[in-house]
Amino acid sequence: MASVSVSHLILFIASMMIAASVAGVFTSSIGQLSGALSEQGLDVSSEVRTDVEIISDSGSNVVYNSSGNDNITLLIKNTGSETLAVDPGVMDILVDGRFATSYGVSRVDGSGNWGQGDVVRVEIDPPQGSLSGDVRVQVTVNGDEEVFEFRA
Amino acid sequence: MGFSVSGSAVLIFVAAFIGFGMFYTATATSFEQITDARGAQADNTLEQQNTEIQITDVRYNEAPASGDYVNVTVENTGSTELAVGHVDVLFDSEYQTGYRSAVGDDTTTDLWLPQETLELNATVSQEPSRVKIVTGPGIAVTEVL
Repeated sequence: MASVSVSHLILFIASMMIAASVAGVFTSSIGQLSGALSEQGLDVSSEVRTDVEIISDSGSNVVYNSSGNDNITLLIKNTGSETLAVDPGVMDILVDGRFATSYGVSRVDGSGNWGQGDVVRVEIDPPQGSLSGDVRVQVTVNGDEEVFEFRA
Repeated sequence: MGFSVSGSAVLIFVAAFIGFGMFYTATATSFEQITDARGAQADNTLEQQNTEIQITDVRYNEAPASGDYVNVTVENTGSTELAVGHVDVLFDSEYQTGYRSAVGDDTTTDLWLPQETLELNATVSQEPSRVKIVTGPGIAVTEVL
């Protein structure tokens, strides 16, 4: 009889260990999934709140080469409710379909973050060098795409 | 064997309960954040559609003693209240700072209400050929001199 009780005890301990392992893996996976879901929710919320407008006057002739170094100068206003950083990393810029890698971003009035209603000046060094004719610039900020066209 | 099955089932059940709790919290929070964001965006869109402004007068004045200046008169012809601090002024696509503003005769207010007139006075070095006024929601008007 004693041997039966010992066998049962061993089987009980083994089954509890297996169940505990399964439960641990299960809760850990659900925890990771929940964390990813929360981050995704924050990202989507931030993308929905982001809205910018390019307010440069395309009819004026100072958008391109105003300082004589073939730069494009754009003024971009934050019209959404998301506060953005004044940093080149927050935006991706295409000039006539080519990815621009050299551009600077600065606040036109004051300093600090790029909050609602604030305007930043973006100085783009076109990847093509000099430009002529019709030019199309696409600026993507946090998923919000804006297109600005002008004559160089 | 009975204890083994019951004990394991309790462990798995408790783990499933905890897991569902975590998952539900994360899902509900994310859903709420996205719903809030969509609501805020819908409010912004409504505000943009209700915003309209009109430049009624642009005047360039030469004043050799104190510096040339431009007076711009803009009327809020929409139905939303705008913020004077969020108005942007561009002369020939050059962003202007340090200009003086008044709604009616009030130079201290930041509110620009429907049917009110905003007077802007900016010192310039030469006569601009284009004037662009941009409101907080992004609605803009351009005037060619």
